[in-house]
Amino acid sequence: MTLLPYVGRRLLFVLPQLVGILFVSFLMVKLIPGDPAVLMLGPFATPDSLAKLRAELGLDHSIFVQFLIYLGKAARGDLGFSWQTTMPVTTDLAQRFPATLELVTLGLLLALAIGIPLGVAGARYRRGPLRAAADYYGLLAGALPDFWLALVLIYVFYTLLAWAPAPLGRIDLSILPPEPVTGSLLIDSLLAGNWETFQNAAAHLVLPVLTLGLINAGPILKMTQATTERMLDSDFSRYAELCGLPHGIIVRQAFRNALPSVVTIVSVLYGFLIGGAVLVEIVFSWGGAGQYAVQGVLNADLNPVLGFVLYSAVLSLVIYLLVDLVYFAIDPRTR
Amino acid sequence: MTVTGSTIPAVSRGAGSFAFFRAVLRNHPSFALGYAIVLLVVLLATFAPWVAPFPPEFADADVFLQPPGWPHLLGTDATGMDVLSRMIWAPRIDLSIAVLGTLLSALVGSVLGALVGYYQSVRGLARLAAGFVMRAADVLQAFPVFVFAIALVAVFGQSLQSIVLAIAFVNAPIYLRLMRNQAMSIRTMRYVEAAWLAGLPDARIIVRHVVPNAMAPVLAQLSVNIGWSILLTASLSFIGAGVKAPTPEWGSMIAMGYQNIITGQWWSSIFPGLALAVTVFGFALVGSSIEVLSDPARRRRLSGRLTAARGAA
Repeated sequence: MTLLPYVGRRLLFVLPQLVGILFVSFLMVKLIPGDPAVLMLGPFATPDSLAKLRAELGLDHSIFVQFLIYLGKAARGDLGFSWQTTMPVTTDLAQRFPATLELVTLGLLLALAIGIPLGVAGARYRRGPLRAAADYYGLLAGALPDFWLALVLIYVFYTLLAWAPAPLGRIDLSILPPEPVTGSLLIDSLLAGNWETFQNAAAHLVLPVLTLGLINAGPILKMTQATTERMLDSDFSRYAELCGLPHGIIVRQAFRNALPSVVTIVSVLYGFLIGGAVLVEIVFSWGGAGQYAVQGVLNADLNPVLGFVLYSAVLSLVIYLLVDLVYFAIDPRTR
Repeated sequence: MTVTGSTIPAVSRGAGSFAFFRAVLRNHPSFALGYAIVLLVVLLATFAPWVAPFPPEFADADVFLQPPGWPHLLGTDATGMDVLSRMIWAPRIDLSIAVLGTLLSALVGSVLGALVGYYQSVRGLARLAAGFVMRAADVLQAFPVFVFAIALVAVFGQSLQSIVLAIAFVNAPIYLRLMRNQAMSIRTMRYVEAAWLAGLPDARIIVRHVVPNAMAPVLAQLSVNIGWSILLTASLSFIGAGVKAPTPEWGSMIAMGYQNIITGQWWSSIFPGLALAVTVFGFALVGSSIEVLSDPARRRRLSGRLTAARGAA
């Protein structure tokens, strides 16, 4: 199978899929009780001004016409305004999406750093305390609510030990954020050569990243352990063992063969966390994309929700494409 | 087949029996722990009015934010409600929502999945409908789960029923896929073909032959899923889209106490979260025990090990 036609075929399916997802979310958010015009103008608005605003927002058309209008604007890069922040959704998301991405990416990197070594070790030594610890860790990580773990970490490292900064955003209020280039505070402050800002942003990242990393190491560990174990039990590993290869090499080979499923679970987690990290974002007042969408849903603010769904759908599609490219790189059978 | 039959030890002959179950628990203390946790939580929830030392929604303004001690064993929250009593009452709400939501999704998902799996290899209208159901499930699963659940609660209005519905909606595709895969492979079995040749109607074949043989993975999934649904319920309540205070519920209790953590009053948030985590952990253990027990190969290995252990003793 060659790469380019494959990618092309994938992209062909993307557009109808996106429109479908957008349409369902459009219908759903429209079904949420609450008239944006009333919410925007307050309870004392005159019927005239309400009608005028409804006409301006296009609310007097049928729902299908409204959706078509939205699609037409979206194709030109206009995702409308959020009436809560009174800013264009694209501007809001340009600020908030990188915040979430930075958090989720670092969290998953930490999860990989915990989950993979533990998983491989658990597959290699099947009896004994290490395996038991790995098994229990996997179950526990799946049982802990992430927002609660975040609170425990805040209590220990902020309230008791005062090692971490206050859980009030990505950076101290007294520090000027760097000129946005990529949207990631870490990268931007390095680009600006501002070491102090970098340290401050990094300090704010520690606890939320630790929370996400500790929780999400669970599924990565389970997947790594299960697949590596299966690979160690398969014929090629037995053959290698019979040939007298050292155990370390056999395990390394088995892990290499287990990599595709690890990559898969990481991509699934990534897609999930873009919206799923919202609880951790709330606890740390992170101001991320998930928080923005949840506020939109709770306040019948249509455009931010649609914008968020669109962005995260596109992002997951990009991630799945990347994953396929990674498969090409690590699995010779797909070439 | 007779050869393997003779090697199956005596214990597994009464494999469904209580003795076997007890032997498994003795050999797998973690499974026993799981059942103990689930049993304890269910008992506490059932007998909450008699066990809890204080009424769950009784706010005594004189004793707000008391640290753990006497008479408030786990302290009081910012409005003066007893943390322990509310923790004991909470599983009534949390468990009911999670169990109802999961059962509903399993029911709807499995029935649809069995139909889709059974009819997907047939030509004509049935196949078209089956394909449509699967594409719809694709679109549903493409949504960010959490935002989707919140939106569903917002659409139906904030009530217990809508949380149950939201959980059922979010989980149904899992059962749909599980059951469909099972049904597709079972459909090609000889006994299904035989039933079909004997002239049994499709509905009868699905109910009598396909569903019973496909239930094992669904059952294992159920327990894990209940734990996960408890987490989702608590998460929804935490951001204010689920159960509303002062109804005792773990997520909203954590949310109520979360402002106080920064100033050092940790008990009103940390204890409910602990109860939540232990409960979900218990359901996960029960789920993994069902997974082992419902897999014939692993079950045989297990009972073999059990007799070996007994012989050595």
